Amino acid sequence: MDNDRTLGALWHRRGKAFREETFPYFRYMGQSGFPAFMSLFVISSAIGYIGLIRNMPADFPFAAVGIIALTLVLCWSPLRTWLAAGDTVFLMPREAEMNGYLRLSFRYTTIGCSVLAAIVFLLYLPIYSQGPALNGAWMLAAVAAGLKAANVWGAWKERQMSWPGMRRLLRALRWALTALTLAAWLTSVLWHAAVFTLLLGVLYMMLYRLPSKHRFPWERLIDEEARTRKRYYAFFGLFIDVPTLPSSIAKRSYLTWLLRMIRYTNRHTFVFLYSASLMRTEMGGIIVRLLFLGCLITYWFAEAVSLSGYGSVISFAVFMGLIAVQLGGLRHVHRYSVWKHVYPLPEKQRIDQSLKVDRFAMLLCTALLWLFAALPLALSGVYMPSIVAAALAAVYLMIRPGRLRKKLALEEEED
Amino acid sequence: MESILKVSGLTGGYSPRRPVLHDITFEVKAGEMIGLIGLNGAGKSTTIKHLLGLMKPQTGEVRIDGVTLEEETERYRSAFAYVPETPVLFDELTVEEHLRLTGMAYSVKDANYEERVEELLKQFQMVPKRKAFASHLSKGMKQKVMIMNALLAEPPLYIIDEPFLGLDPLGIRSLLERLVEVKEKGAAILMSSHILSTVEAYCDRFIVMHHGRIVAIGTLEDVRRAAGMEMRGGSLEDAFYKLVTGGNA
Repeated sequence: MDNDRTLGALWHRRGKAFREETFPYFRYMGQSGFPAFMSLFVISSAIGYIGLIRNMPADFPFAAVGIIALTLVLCWSPLRTWLAAGDTVFLMPREAEMNGYLRLSFRYTTIGCSVLAAIVFLLYLPIYSQGPALNGAWMLAAVAAGLKAANVWGAWKERQMSWPGMRRLLRALRWALTALTLAAWLTSVLWHAAVFTLLLGVLYMMLYRLPSKHRFPWERLIDEEARTRKRYYAFFGLFIDVPTLPSSIAKRSYLTWLLRMIRYTNRHTFVFLYSASLMRTEMGGIIVRLLFLGCLITYWFAEAVSLSGYGSVISFAVFMGLIAVQLGGLRHVHRYSVWKHVYPLPEKQRIDQSLKVDRFAMLLCTALLWLFAALPLALSGVYMPSIVAAALAAVYLMIRPGRLRKKLALEEEED
Repeated sequence: MESILKVSGLTGGYSPRRPVLHDITFEVKAGEMIGLIGLNGAGKSTTIKHLLGLMKPQTGEVRIDGVTLEEETERYRSAFAYVPETPVLFDELTVEEHLRLTGMAYSVKDANYEERVEELLKQFQMVPKRKAFASHLSKGMKQKVMIMNALLAEPPLYIIDEPFLGLDPLGIRSLLERLVEVKEKGAAILMSSHILSTVEAYCDRFIVMHHGRIVAIGTLEDVRRAAGMEMRGGSLEDAFYKLVTGGNA
């Protein structure tokens, strides 16, 4: 009992330490223009949402929107454990007592992401009720709660799995099964959906019994905690200098061809390095996700020709802005690298080449986003918003390198 | 023989009031391997940081290939390759990509590049790991990548800090063989290490540092003489103990 209390106290101490560690960064974030930007984003989204509820188009994709929005929040099941590398030495001997510690982690994270899921669910309900609404709101709420619980359980079982490949496969399957179950409840009558859910549930339980598992997945939990911390710091890094944490790397084989296209010459040394960093670090992951989401949302707005086509221009500008902010982090990636001083290359070359990578990436993302606005609008015979978006993007792309160069020069002086 | 590295009257450290290094003077000639030895905190790594240009001398100067860093930055930097004590790799690059980056940075000719990379990968038993990311390598493998990068650049001077840490026996042998090879071709090598038997066997001259000063420099005979052991012989290790403990070891 004493031990339980001690581990519980340790959990609380670690949580408090993390909050104290990150509090100053939240203050810096508060002092930047970010809250104002977010408020604007929330207000404009709220206006758009209310407008949509009031004048719901008959052909609105009720089920598709519900499936995407709810799948995202129901499947996302993080776990904050505050565990660190040293715990394999200091806490591992007490593995048998770790249940209480983990229970606190589950309670803490599940409450947070359940509240988020509930908010999204409540926002979706008015949309759902204007569609075919084959099942009652309470029934849908119960299904969502059940799915959330199943996802928290499934995510834990995945963490326990010994083989990373199997873990990734089952995670993909969990997301797919959740989406299918939601599709069934949003498009079918009660008994069809119930039978389908039951079948999927049995399949899900059977699959999760198969693979070899760790009783307590120390390495997985430590890795997950480190990744979460890195994400926090990557976010804070947009506003202020933050301690450098080892970066998370993803191979992203589908982008490697871009790296191979860079010519083998001394003049492209830093183009090669910065391109690899952009593609394979957390930053690249965030940009790829933002781009994907941006293209999707911009396409929806453009396809519906909302606000006479300017809805897609707003979405285009917002996502372009978000990508630009993320991409700005590239200049910090090798800021303190020893090789910057050791390689026989002039400092100016490093700056020029990092700007080159930034310009190319920004141009590529902007062009893709723009196509997802311009093509559907052109098919509807609307051209002006696309021209406005292209002009805005061109102006921004022209002034960005100069602004970045100034920032880089200033930072070099500070260093 | 031509002097590749020349350090004259170097005094330096992290604070002008408390210098770590005091009046360090030595040179490394082409075709020579010098062992830099000393206890932890003797000033070896600080000396290396000054050579790299990561720290500025308070007094004195460092010349590599005849120039100081301020005079001709690019010539200075392209004249040496550095292997740090702790491998410093880019997590986002594979083993092959590290070699490519070094090849680009040091302008290794395209024609020789492929052949030399293959040779190095084979020699350091890294062929199966060529596509592995740095973050997935063991410490010894990371050290091998650092060494392979330095050897690929083929500069006139190699600055190597504790190269044997974490290396497996085959890796140590490959490294020593390659160092002898590049030395015979005319390269200069400054190697810091605690493995005194290896340093004694492979280095031509030695620099013994203690409390930020050079307490002995030269051949084994010179070091023995500085330790007051010229009459009775003994290994580098014996002379070193005598020098750093004042004969109380």
